[in-house]
Amino acid sequence: MQNMNTQKQNGYMLLFRSDEWYEELSHDEIQKVISQNNDWIEGLIAQGKAKPGHALQRNGATVSGKTGRTVSDGPFAESKEVLGGFLLLDVETIAEAIAIAQRSPTLAYGTSIEVRPVAEECPLDVRARELARQEQFATA
Amino acid sequence: MSTQNQNQNGYMLLFRGTDLRKGLSPEELQKVTDNWMAWFKRLTEEGKAVAGNPLEREGKIVSGKDRIVSDGPFTESKEAIGGYFLLDVPTLDEAIAIAKECPGLPYGIRVEVRPVAGECPIAADIRAEALFAQV
Repeated sequence: MQNMNTQKQNGYMLLFRSDEWYEELSHDEIQKVISQNNDWIEGLIAQGKAKPGHALQRNGATVSGKTGRTVSDGPFAESKEVLGGFLLLDVETIAEAIAIAQRSPTLAYGTSIEVRPVAEECPLDVRARELARQEQFATA
Repeated sequence: MSTQNQNQNGYMLLFRGTDLRKGLSPEELQKVTDNWMAWFKRLTEEGKAVAGNPLEREGKIVSGKDRIVSDGPFTESKEAIGGYFLLDVPTLDEAIAIAKECPGLPYGIRVEVRPVAGECPIAADIRAEALFAQV
């Protein structure tokens, strides 16, 4: 199991997923959450813990198939929780990233937040090199 | 509506799929990797990609009112996001054309193309509603 206090250099990404939870709320309630959310994000940026994030529009496309031939409208596939936006955190441990995520104002409304370490190197590349090294030893 | 397919704030490509490191031969894996990095490098040089990162296949999920922390199904899930590119292109068509170049597509990777919102889309909806209410 991964150590929550292992330090990583490349930071963490928070991916915000939700259904349309705001459909149930009153205008005032939504305004309040938005304002809390903006304060939360701006606070993190001011502390140097986050880079400005991006909200995503709830539409788009999915490209798939061997030659990328299939283009379907979004949202998307079997996932019932559409990715609504993301934030890049400049913190050193996943414990810290999780603690930040836990203070997101939208959690109270059933959204979920994925916390992922940003990889230093493309994991495919790391694995390719590993396999190449193994082959080298095998043929030595 | 033609404005739906243009966007000043750019587009995000989200790479979804199972872990490519499993099931590919070493040569295939090296080839996909080299192609992918060359692809990103070219897009960056052309000014079309402004950011991109791979994500580690591990992490946590925080959810609910109680802020519960759980492990994620990041390795087996076909939906798991393995990385992203942030594109600075003006139309959805161009973003889709770029997405079609993804070297992972023949191996089952799906590329989600999403317009970046200028502001929280929920805030935009509310403002629109408020305007209508005033009429």
